[in-house]
Amino acid sequence: MKLGFALLLLSVTLPAQAADNLAIPKFVEETKTSGLHSVYKGEWQYMVGGGVATFDCNGDGFPDAYIAGGENKAKLFINKSKTGGTLKFTEAKSGAEFDKVTGAYPLDVDGDGIMDLVVLRVGENKIMRGLGNCKFAEANTQWNFDGGDGWSTAFSATWEKGNTWPTLAIGNYIDRTKEMEPWGSCTDNFLLRPNAKQDGFDKPAALKPSFCALSMLFTDWNKSGTQSLRVANDREYYQGGQEQMWKMPLGKPPSLYTADEGWKFVRYWGMGIAENISMADGMPQYYVTSMADQHLLVLSDGVAKPSYKDVPFASGVSAQRPYAGGDLRPSTGWHTQFEDVNNDGLSDLFIAKGNVDKMPDFAAKDPSNLLLQNADGTFAEVGDKSGMLSFSQARGGAVADFNRDGKMDVLIVNRHENVKIWRNVSKNLGHWLDLRLSLAGANHDGIGAWIEVKHGDKIMRREITSGGGHVSGVNGFWHFGLGEQTATQIRVLWPDGVQSDWQDVSVDQSYLVSKNQAVLDLKKLQP
Amino acid sequence: MRLKNVLGIAALCLSFGSAQANAISQEQIIATWYKLILNLVRHTATYSPPVASRNFAYLAATAYEATASGDDHLISFAGQLQGLKNLPPREKGKAYDEALVLNTVLDQATHNFFSNTGPTGQRVLGLTSKKMASDVSNKVAADVKKRSIAYAQKLSAAVFEWSKTDGGAVVENMGFPMKYDLIKGPGHWVPTSQLRQQQAPLLPNWGKNRTFAMPASATCNLPSPPEYSEEKASEFFKQAKEVYDTKNNLTPEQKTIARFWSDDPMLSSTPPGHWIGIATEIIDRDKLPVAKSVDVLARLSFAVADGFIGCWNTKMQYDLLRPITYIKKNIDQKWETLLITPPFPEYPSGHSTQSGAAAVVLSKFFGDHFAFDDATHEGDGFKPRHFASFWDAANEAGISRMYGGIHFRPAIERGLDQGRCVGAYATQLKTVKQ
Repeated sequence: MKLGFALLLLSVTLPAQAADNLAIPKFVEETKTSGLHSVYKGEWQYMVGGGVATFDCNGDGFPDAYIAGGENKAKLFINKSKTGGTLKFTEAKSGAEFDKVTGAYPLDVDGDGIMDLVVLRVGENKIMRGLGNCKFAEANTQWNFDGGDGWSTAFSATWEKGNTWPTLAIGNYIDRTKEMEPWGSCTDNFLLRPNAKQDGFDKPAALKPSFCALSMLFTDWNKSGTQSLRVANDREYYQGGQEQMWKMPLGKPPSLYTADEGWKFVRYWGMGIAENISMADGMPQYYVTSMADQHLLVLSDGVAKPSYKDVPFASGVSAQRPYAGGDLRPSTGWHTQFEDVNNDGLSDLFIAKGNVDKMPDFAAKDPSNLLLQNADGTFAEVGDKSGMLSFSQARGGAVADFNRDGKMDVLIVNRHENVKIWRNVSKNLGHWLDLRLSLAGANHDGIGAWIEVKHGDKIMRREITSGGGHVSGVNGFWHFGLGEQTATQIRVLWPDGVQSDWQDVSVDQSYLVSKNQAVLDLKKLQP
Repeated sequence: MRLKNVLGIAALCLSFGSAQANAISQEQIIATWYKLILNLVRHTATYSPPVASRNFAYLAATAYEATASGDDHLISFAGQLQGLKNLPPREKGKAYDEALVLNTVLDQATHNFFSNTGPTGQRVLGLTSKKMASDVSNKVAADVKKRSIAYAQKLSAAVFEWSKTDGGAVVENMGFPMKYDLIKGPGHWVPTSQLRQQQAPLLPNWGKNRTFAMPASATCNLPSPPEYSEEKASEFFKQAKEVYDTKNNLTPEQKTIARFWSDDPMLSSTPPGHWIGIATEIIDRDKLPVAKSVDVLARLSFAVADGFIGCWNTKMQYDLLRPITYIKKNIDQKWETLLITPPFPEYPSGHSTQSGAAAVVLSKFFGDHFAFDDATHEGDGFKPRHFASFWDAANEAGISRMYGGIHFRPAIERGLDQGRCVGAYATQLKTVKQ
């Protein structure tokens, strides 16, 4: 090849996806009046973590928040908001006021209908049995839960077939005792399976090799009916590592998907996982937060192979550098969550952003992202236009309907400063539907179930999972936007494989959905 | 004694404070700091291979000058390296503690050239500085200590000032320009990554940087690659087909070779760090005296850094597309590489150029048939590889890029040729008084 070609110049700087045609939601920050005050404090051992567990601990239907404090004690805030009103919380004694907490996940472990809490820490993790009315009692001994002594930074739970007790996966970070040699010191992740009596846990089994997990998610990636364990690993600290997915054969030790089976050898700063079910093919997609380019992984070779292609650029979700604030250095992504924040029937994407700690290669002013999905499947940034531009050093978070008005609000946990919360005050958003699953006894909240909601000639799907994000878990109502649709039908594929019939539901309603063979018992809940 | 043993002793000294005052030898000082900087390169996004090579070179220059200024047999690089005119002298007739001088300059240079890192790197760097300073200076007389540290700081500052004018001092966005106009036309480079950040080539102006030992960036330029063609009978098509067939029929050993030399940024100490690691292993194995250690590390670092400058100059001149682009268009749309295709033009192969340059320097220093084991990637699960000579290693590094599916043969073979040319300049530097 010789120089001298006519040089036609092609700029690679592409415009952001246009957001003009989208219904941009409006958010108002209500942190100061919310009653929330919790700072994720601490230096090196708290450079990661900073999560929140969002769940209803007193049965009033409003999501409460248990917030990690790092060196500060974790706090539980009871949601006192009124339907559609301003966001109000009151701190309450819960029995889970531990320090060294990195994050937490709500999970009804014992199936008594009262939410329990898995608390991740730098040090011994705690499993807290829900006593009702937002009180908890440590159950490490009672449930034979070995809390270890690691730097725990990831969690997920599943109910394996035939079990009435959950299987827990806990991800651990680097060996904090190796001050001079922290690199390559990733400590083991652990799997805690039920004991024979199904009333507690067996001894933890190490998930070797472990590569400094920052997020884990049990997910039925190929809709086989059995969840596998997807693990996002931080390449900053592992040697010989990569992203992972563990097969979970019943009654056998887990084993990693291999290259021969189609698993690709990819390595990046894996920091948070969010699942979205594609409207196009009904299969799970995974958004994995990272540093610089974030990752959107879509199945590439069908359900026979766990092979994924990474397509964030084409989808407009690279979010590789700040979209506002003038700091053009690469971004750092943490908690992430797909939710429909404008009720148009398309999942939108939230990403909590924030520099690890004075990392000069990365943006110091790094706004969290709110990306609205377009009809063509691409996304457009509206964080600033929607009123939730924030340069806080965010970590964990939750997108949840805190005031039960059918519009998703946003809470973020910040390093070195108070949490922030925004109320979705949008007018004239689309219709919506909130569904909460209920099973009698074990797996009360239907972890592993799939909810399907008709939306025009398409079907919106959601796999009910426990885990993912960045040390932040949500349990409660599952939200669906419906746009102009004024009626719809739903069905549920329950974890035991029973699929319900389609049933009519009203829009702009919250339902408690219970299993009754192929029928769904639907109970409208206030509001 | 293996490097690990040296480092183990250093670590013990660090762990138990200054009980063994001044127990750290100059050799151990070098081993400790080099181990740290190799880790910092691996764990800092800025330090892509070209940037890492530059910073290795300035650190090595500082260490060499610190040693040479206290050794009557050694000659300064001032006046020999591009743009390096003068360096601060020591006070005549005054005593200096050589370990303290060496430790201080390595500490300063690590801060100057490798501290663009995150909280963990900063933490380890801080702990290392504190403990090394304590251990090294414990029993040194106050006046000598003061004088040694002051000189070391002046020297480090002078080298740092020299570095600021080379064109490579400021690296933004991990080296990827915020805006870049691709050259359109058959055969030109197009991005191969789905990452948004990598839609422009890495460090497109790196080839304009000031060189170290090589006179100028274009001194070792290469002839153009074979003429671009999509005709099946063309030489270019045959080369692409060779990459395609080779990658599709790799033996397990070839796959191992490809991954062993992959040396990805942020997942290894990068290609220049790989060769620095080879050198430090040999220095340790053969117990080289400090004067020789700093000499070989400096020459090696200059050669590798010049290799990247020369290579990048050539890369941007020809702007050739990568095999995956050509093969997907003309041979097999579903073809994938074994290694990640680097985000910059293909010709010549950077690893080949810098490996050739490294082989020239190390062969001149240790001999043409110097056998060694390369344990660089033991921590990542690779067994050490044995090489009968440095050129054996360089040739393997070169061909590994074809196994990985990321380079055509001419980029490898001519890259090694370019390295031969580049490395010769580093070998011609004068270090020992005759």
